[in-house]
Parts: sequence; C-alpha cells; structure tokens
Amino acid sequence: METTEAGTQAATVIDAHELSKIYNGRQVPVKAIDGVHLHIEEGEFTAIVGPSGSGKSTLLHLIGGLDVPSSGNVVLAGTEITKLSENKLIDFRLHHIGFVFQAYNLVPVLTARENIGFVMQLQGIAKDVREKRVQELLAQVGLTDKADCKPAKLSGGQQQRVAVARALASRPRIVLADEPTANLDSVNAGNLLDLMARLNREEHITFLFSTHDPRVIEKARRVITLVDGRVVSDQHHA
Amino acid sequence: MLLIRMAWLNLWRNRRRTLIAGGSVFFAVILAIVMRSATLGIYDNLIHNFVTYSSGYIEVHQKGFHEDASVDLSMEVHSELLLQLRKQPGVTAVQPRIQSFVLASGSGQAKGALFMGVIPSLEKKYTHLDRKLCAGTYPESDSERVALLGVDLASRLKLKVGDTLVVIGQGYRASTAAGKYRVCGLLQLGSPELNQRIVYLPLCHAQALLSTPDMVTSLAVQISGPAQLEPVARRLRTLLDTAQLELMTWKELYPELDQFITADSGGHIIMSGVLYLIISFGLLGTLLMMARERTHEFGIIIALGLRKENIAIMLLCESLFISLMGGAAGITSGWLLVRWFHANPIPITGKLKGMYLSYGIEPVIAVSNRPDVFYVQAIVVLLISLMLVIVPIVRVLQLEPVKALNS
Ligand SMILES: Nc1ncnc2c1ncn2[C@@H]1O[C@H](COP(=O)(O)OP(=O)(O)OP(=O)(O)O)[C@@H](O)[C@H]1O
Ligand SMILES: [Mg+2]
Repeated sequence: METTEAGTQAATVIDAHELSKIYNGRQVPVKAIDGVHLHIEEGEFTAIVGPSGSGKSTLLHLIGGLDVPSSGNVVLAGTEITKLSENKLIDFRLHHIGFVFQAYNLVPVLTARENIGFVMQLQGIAKDVREKRVQELLAQVGLTDKADCKPAKLSGGQQQRVAVARALASRPRIVLADEPTANLDSVNAGNLLDLMARLNREEHITFLFSTHDPRVIEKARRVITLVDGRVVSDQHHA
Repeated sequence: MLLIRMAWLNLWRNRRRTLIAGGSVFFAVILAIVMRSATLGIYDNLIHNFVTYSSGYIEVHQKGFHEDASVDLSMEVHSELLLQLRKQPGVTAVQPRIQSFVLASGSGQAKGALFMGVIPSLEKKYTHLDRKLCAGTYPESDSERVALLGVDLASRLKLKVGDTLVVIGQGYRASTAAGKYRVCGLLQLGSPELNQRIVYLPLCHAQALLSTPDMVTSLAVQISGPAQLEPVARRLRTLLDTAQLELMTWKELYPELDQFITADSGGHIIMSGVLYLIISFGLLGTLLMMARERTHEFGIIIALGLRKENIAIMLLCESLFISLMGGAAGITSGWLLVRWFHANPIPITGKLKGMYLSYGIEPVIAVSNRPDVFYVQAIVVLLISLMLVIVPIVRVLQLEPVKALNS
C-alpha cells in the first residue's frame, strides 16, 4: 500500500478486475482491452501510455462508466459501477468522476465561468458556494480575466484549462483525462500538466490520464503502459 | 433553468437558421389565419344576407309553424316578452314579423311570393333595409300603404316604382286575403333567392290583409355577431313558454345552408393542413440538424452527468421556442391584419363585382375576426412543435456516450 503525503493509509479509488472489451469489428472481433487489472489509490497521478490503438481511450471509458465491459468489473470508490443502471451510472459520474477529453470539452454557449460551474449546477449546489468555488478555480488555472468569455474566444490551451477546472470543481473522487494535451503545443501541454499536477497535490484529487507525449509522461508519478489492450508495464516514479 | 437557458442560447448559435425556421412558422400562421378568416367572413356574409331579411338569426314562432307556414299559427306577442327578449345580452333586435306565401301580380301574370309584414322603422334601424333600396323610396312611416319588392320579382312581374301591386292569398282561418299596394321601392338584397321572391309590407297593412290584427307569425332575433348564436339561443329558450313557442336558429331553419358551409370549410381546412405539413418538414429538418451537429457536445455533457431526459427537455424547449416565437408573431400580425380588413372591407370592383352580385354576394372581402381562428392556430403550432421534436429526442435517448464523444 502506498501512503499519501499526509501519511495516512490511502483508500482504493479504482479497482478493475479482469477487464475486457471486445468490439465486433467488420471482419474479426477486436480485443480493445484484454484482461486488465488496475488498482489505483487515492491521490495518485497516473499516466496510461501506449501506441495508438492500444486501448487507452477504451480503458478510460470503461473506468468512467461511459462504456460497458465485455467481461470483468470496475469498482470505483467502493461502488461496483458495472452493475449500475444507466441513470444511476450517470448520477454516479456526476458526483464522483471528473472528465477531461481531448478537445471540444466545453459547452459552446456557456462562458468559461458557467462551464466550470456546470457540473456543480447539475448537482444542485447553492449559487453562492458555486460562485466562490468557480472564482477560486479560475484563479488556480489563471483565467480570472477570461471568466466571461465563451469557449470560441479562448485558445486551445485555455479551453483545456477550463475543462480541467470544471472536472475538479465539485471535488470528485477521480479525474479521468483522455489525451488532454493532444491538441496542444508542447509549451501549453507542459503548462497543463503542471497545472494538473499542482491541483492533484493541492486538492488531493486522483488523476488518471492517457497520453503518448513523452514530455507529459515525465511528469507522471506512475506510468502504466498498454499494448494491444494488455498492461505490459506499470512503473512508479519518485 | 440551466437547461432552458442553454436551449435559448442554442437557438442563436445559428441565428439565420433559427430565423428561417421561425419565419416559416410565422408565414404559415399568418396565411392560415387570413385564409380562414376570409372564408369565415364570406360565410358570415352569406348567412347575414340571407337570414337578416328573412327569418333573423334566430326565429321564435308557434310550434308547428316551421313545418306548416300557415297564418293560422299566428300568435299574440306581449310587449313585456318583447322587452325582455330585447334586453338579453347579444341580442341587437327583436322584430315582430308576419310571414306568408301569396300570389303577387302586376299588370300581367302572377308569381308566388314570400310575403313579409315588417315594421319599416325597426328594419331601417336594425337591419338597414333602407340601404338595400335600388330604386324608389323607403316608407316614411310605419303605416304607409306601400310595398317594397325584390328587384328580380319586380322585373318578372313587370312592375316599376309607382305601379300597383296586387296580392292575393289566404288569410286567418281560411279568410280571403286580397289587397292593392303602391310599389314604393325595389330592393337589391344580398340573396338572389330573396330578390326573386320577397314582398315587404308595413306590418299593420299585412295584418289587415291577413285578418290577423295584433298577431304575428314570428319574432326575428338579430344578434351582435355569429359567435353569439348558440349562447343567445340558449338564453332565450329559458325565457320562452316552450309548450307553445318554438325557437330555431338559422342552422335549424336552413340545414342545407349549414351543411354547405361545413362541406366547403372542410376543403379550406385541408388546405391549411397541407400548408402546415409543408412547414413541418422544414421544421423537422432544422430540429434534426440542430441535434445532430451537437452529438459530440451531448456526449460530453452525458459524460459529465447530465441525464438524457434533460437533454430531451432542452431539445423540447428549443422546438417550442422556435414555434412559439414564430407562432406568436404570426398570430399577432394575423390578428392585426384581420382586424384591419375587418374594419376596412376591401370592395371588389370590375368584372368580379358583377360576378359577386350575380351570385347575390356582397362585392366585398369581409374577413371574420372570430377568436377561434387564432387560438386554433396556436394549438396547431404547439402540437406540431411537440410532435416533431419527438424524432430528435428519440435519437438522443438512444445515444451511446462513447459513440457520441467520438463523433
Ligand atoms: N467503436 C469501436 N468499434 C470497433 N472497434 C473499436 C471501437 N472503438 C475502438 N475500437 C478499436 O479498439 C482498439 C482500441 O482503441 P482505443 O481508441 O481505445 O485506442 P487508443 O489507445 O485510445 O488509441 P489512440 O491513441 O489513437 O487514441 C483499436 O484497435 C480500435 O480500432
Ligand atoms: Mg484514444
């Protein structure tokens, strides 16, 4: 068992057993995920890496309850999400999982401020609490001056920072990010990763993200490598 | 609230498309309103021209008079009853009349005629009979011994203003009725039927002719508008001694006229239906496009934790916004247009005028301003927008988040 910075015993956030996902391709079935075991503790900052088509996105979708595994199960923060009904699963995501996707993460008609508050608003969090938190996050991601801009007025990097802020806003148990830096140049990619790492430390939120950018991989404290849907290595860095 | 706000904002992402969709609803509604009001106006006019100068919108008579229009079924009418009937809301006039069928002749041959004893001053005041005069003069007093003739009847009898009309018929209890009257004026009424058959006489002379002093065959009730027909009929029925008297609306008096209108209406309703069907296709295309191009966005918000039902609500709001904005604008403009045309009927001129006249229809386009024309459109538009949005909603409910995200 790992220990967190506070020194207490860390709780398990993600526990995936014997996870498989088979797609019925045109000619042959594709084993996108093939018998993956995954165990992630609270507060971890983990990268999933691997070549294109290795199953990184599929794995994140399965863990996030966006897709249903062909076999195996996923336990998130003590709840076996693979057993939840569709609407229960949506509610579970709302309260426990933050998502950041590759691009076009934001609701185009809402401002940065409203996008960050979106999840909290769906949760029914009171307006004053929400606004305070949004203000705080805007400052943390360095976009206080862009608070009232619509996504179209933000750069790609700024949009991703808003997406990260939104994912963190309601303090979920875990943030899943599928190639959050893929559409960014290396400077912005580095900045976003630094931001995520800092929020991981400050807010103590577990991050699991996929990438194939070597500079991003460096910043991860644990790197899980997938090839053909199987975990081929799982390394902890200092 | 968030959903409604998002729905509203979504409309303006592609402003032009939304305006075109709303605009199509707008024009369909205006067109449907104007079309419907104009046809209703024509019907109202048709009915008005016929019933005003014959039975009234509502006729009160002795039981059996409708089946057997005999002078023997005359009645005495107490002035209190008249007063009471005239006081009822929606009633503009109650005119005592005496009706019979007679033979009318001039110098030559005789023709069957619809003989109507009326009080000239009351007719002038309430039905503006004097305005229908095309030759001669209107009786100056209610006791002048003169006759007013339908213009076509006069020409068939070869009678001119100033000539003498001879009337022969059957009076009360099989008495003989015969009289001579000076023709003081010819009437061009809005109904060809009446133009060919009507003879008006002042009531007192008609009563003298038929030996029915102080008696009338019917009370012609005029109302303030077509919509008042049923309410007034209901109210008056409660006031009448229904053991003896009978009240009939024009629909009961002339069922064929009512049936003709119903049948003709059907055609117009189908036309409006086709109009709405056409805009429905356009609207459906817009709604589908609006949903389809946001598939990825839906994937994101479903991933974040928004239930699909809520997206459905958002789509519903968008559809309602488009239709209701277009519909409200259409109904308001339609209402203004109809109000204006109602106040300023368009006179028909040229060849068409002659055609209208020969059909006995007043040569004006008079539109009706009946309120149901307007709220029917509102309901239709609402139903259309509710029905159409089902298609994109079903698609959203079937959406798989991963597929949506990848699109
Ligand atoms: N909906 C699908 N139907 C069929 N096959 C699919 C589907 N989604 C993914 N796959 C296949 O599953 C495998 C894993 O795909 P996945 O998208 O998880 O890879 P990835 O590691 O995220 O790749 P990339 O780095 O390109 O994003 C691939 O071979 C892909 O072709
Ligand atoms: Mg991927």
